[in-house]
Amino acid sequence: MKRAKTIALVAGFGFFFLALLVQGILPYLLKPAAGISSREVTRTVRTPLGDLAEVKAEAAPVTDGGEKRGRAIYLREGCWYCHSQYTRPAAGEERRWGPVSEAGEYAHDLPHLFGTRRIGPDLLRVGGKYGDDWHTAHFFDPRAVVPDSVMPRFTWFFRTEGGRQVLNDEGRAVTAYVQSLGMQKGKWRDAFPYQNVRSGSASPEAAKSAERGKQVYSRRCAGCHGEKGDGKGTSPKDVLFTIAQPRDFTSGVFKFRLTPTGSVPLDSDLYRTITAGIRGTAMPPWFNLSEDDRWDVIHYIKTFSPDFSEYPPEAPIVVPQPPKPSPELVARGRRVFDEMKCWECHGREGRGDGPKSDTLEDDFGNRIPPANFTRGIFKSGPRAEDIFRTFMTGLSGTPMPSFADSFASPDDGWALTYYVLSLSADGGDQP
Amino acid sequence: MEKDNGLVNKNVVKEWLLWGFFWAVLAPLWGILLSLTFNYPTYLSGEFIHFGRLRPLHVNGVIFGVFSTLFLGLIQYMVPKLTGARMEREAWSRAALWIWNVSLLAGFGGILLGYNKGLEADELPALAASGLVASLLIVTWQVLGAIARRKEEKIYVALWYTIAALVWTDLNMVFGNLVLPHVMPGVSNAALHGLYIHYVVGLWITPGGLAIIYFFLPAAAKAPLYSHKLSLIGFWSLAFFYPFVGIHHYLLSPIPAWTQTIAIVASMMLIIPVWTVVANFFGTLKGGKWGAFQTDFTVKLLIFGAAMYFIGSTQGSVEALRGLQVPTHFTDFVIAHSHATVFGGYVIFVLAACYYVWPRIAGGGFDARLAQWSSWMIMAGISSMIGILIIQGLVQGTALAAGAEFVDTVVAMKPYWFIRTITGITMDIGIALVGINLYLSGRKAAAARGAR
Repeated sequence: MKRAKTIALVAGFGFFFLALLVQGILPYLLKPAAGISSREVTRTVRTPLGDLAEVKAEAAPVTDGGEKRGRAIYLREGCWYCHSQYTRPAAGEERRWGPVSEAGEYAHDLPHLFGTRRIGPDLLRVGGKYGDDWHTAHFFDPRAVVPDSVMPRFTWFFRTEGGRQVLNDEGRAVTAYVQSLGMQKGKWRDAFPYQNVRSGSASPEAAKSAERGKQVYSRRCAGCHGEKGDGKGTSPKDVLFTIAQPRDFTSGVFKFRLTPTGSVPLDSDLYRTITAGIRGTAMPPWFNLSEDDRWDVIHYIKTFSPDFSEYPPEAPIVVPQPPKPSPELVARGRRVFDEMKCWECHGREGRGDGPKSDTLEDDFGNRIPPANFTRGIFKSGPRAEDIFRTFMTGLSGTPMPSFADSFASPDDGWALTYYVLSLSADGGDQP
Repeated sequence: MEKDNGLVNKNVVKEWLLWGFFWAVLAPLWGILLSLTFNYPTYLSGEFIHFGRLRPLHVNGVIFGVFSTLFLGLIQYMVPKLTGARMEREAWSRAALWIWNVSLLAGFGGILLGYNKGLEADELPALAASGLVASLLIVTWQVLGAIARRKEEKIYVALWYTIAALVWTDLNMVFGNLVLPHVMPGVSNAALHGLYIHYVVGLWITPGGLAIIYFFLPAAAKAPLYSHKLSLIGFWSLAFFYPFVGIHHYLLSPIPAWTQTIAIVASMMLIIPVWTVVANFFGTLKGGKWGAFQTDFTVKLLIFGAAMYFIGSTQGSVEALRGLQVPTHFTDFVIAHSHATVFGGYVIFVLAACYYVWPRIAGGGFDARLAQWSSWMIMAGISSMIGILIIQGLVQGTALAAGAEFVDTVVAMKPYWFIRTITGITMDIGIALVGINLYLSGRKAAAARGAR
């Protein structure tokens, strides 16, 4: 070749801008229908009838409860080198991390945070998967809650208060950001089939699996619940759990059961809780754990309390198929709410601020605020069956009694269920 | 010392290369420190020194520190030789040198302090990046000026690549720093960033590295280039296809499928430039020149690097296919590709060239025994690193696709990661020895001259 200009102009300028135009600008300029600059997202919402629906919505702008600052910290600390933010319709990622990415979810991301490497899990939908307490424990020492983690500790997100670690402003901001991830999809997690299981299939032989269950337990559970199962793991000793304390398995008391108040739960009750986690608390969902692991650890957990062997579980209730929600049912639920004095603890508007709310304690002597229904975070699970079950069997160890004998008919139970669910319509303020 | 007709400013080349050696010790060392965190996650837990802040230093340190500094220094040697003209505005060479390296130092300091733009391979704070752009513009001006005053009408292939690399990267660095972080949020930002990243590796490191081997392989082996026609095919197919591949970083994302498909097709088409240039290099040694592979360290490393370039780039093409990308993307399989090409290919090319250039500008030879040790450490280290990274990538990727719990697949990687660290240490000692060997021999030669 003889001409330097040909090289500089054709190869240098020409091909550079040609590719930039075709691959970068053109997809952007095409109509939003082509996808890339779309602001539309498929959002799961709670309807005023208390059920779930999918709607097409405009991507919500960032409401700043610290998320903006949190994102800046996430950039600064390089979290995005190990955590991607996109789920592909491949390799089982929808099952692992939630629905496939939509263009609209990213509408306000600048710079984008797709990522190219996963040394840790994808975080596109991590919001609401773990409670703030879990993130607190995890930022302070990832290996306390995930012994095999290779994540650094972020001790500069903390300050000391009363001998324990609490998040400082930066820690709270980055937690707020992480909890906001995936929220463009609304309450998708409430409809996520892998997490919200009905219950397990038949439990395998107990003797065979408790031994393996011990290994599962020490890798997944001991950080919070302690090696002895007494709820005194390293995390609750180091950091202040503000929402709920880890269960003391030696007590034999379990909240979420199909069995009557006072009885130990069924294995399938424990299976459901382990799979779905306990929303808003440090207890994460374990739906990605193999079924065998989940059953094995249940058998091991049952060895902590003699109650399981001495007092077999009493006959469980049967939760019937829920009726279709209707305005009449919700209105009736409102009346039941008033008549049965739910408001004494949960407040007139269901905000958890009833007259008795300041005084409540659980059987272990911990303060226990009544649920704020408007947030739409239900510890027992988000399905109508879950709420109904709580009315029928109560939450053992807490001030929440069973109302099984108080309802005039099971329909009262369903009416109250849909009323409670309807209080978080229009999104609520789920983290 | 060879006669250079006074075209090359030896002191400037020497200073560029010394800075290059400095980065060649530092940036791989950061890699070792990082790789150890996988097995010892708590040992780097300082607020300003932990994985997330150190990783960009390693990546940018290798790209803009090791490779680019040595390449820019070698340009100051190569271009006068090829054009028969001194560099344009020769006094500016030293300014470019200091602007470049001080900007890097400042930029890396900035990243440690938390000024990270959040775009991979584009993290350097705007001020530091502006310094890099200014330095690149100076060098571009110098090169084009020298070419305008050239004595020989024909422009040799190494110069095509040098011109193209400089023009592309002037544009890309401006694009990456002024445009990318500020416009088109969301998915479009990812698309643009994919293009930027691949403009860095494909339109800077690749043509830069190829310029080096096209110049130094025939020079060191004392053999004419095998085929002019192959070099034409290689250059124009690279120039046309490479700009289009960037989106293959984000396959199966909300970026439109046709955009992804263009990137995949372009990635596969890159087999043409890769295989033709590698054939051209191997062909150059045909006709009785293979002995140089044994006796000459420049030829040895260039040919080894060409083999790595062949393996790594071919891997890069096939991993763009959706079928292979599904299990391997996000795993160390991709890290194997980036080390095979950027380190195994291009960094080895510029190190090989230093074995040729340094004795000619600093006088004296170098310790052949030490060079032999270092070459073997580099070759053994990078080969085994790529092997282990490919294997572990496939293991983790297939385990995840089969539904394994995520953390379980991380645990499974720990023994591999440990071996990877050992391969990295081996390789990095080899690299450091290149610089140390040359630096010491240069000092010895200078002392001998002083004594005379």
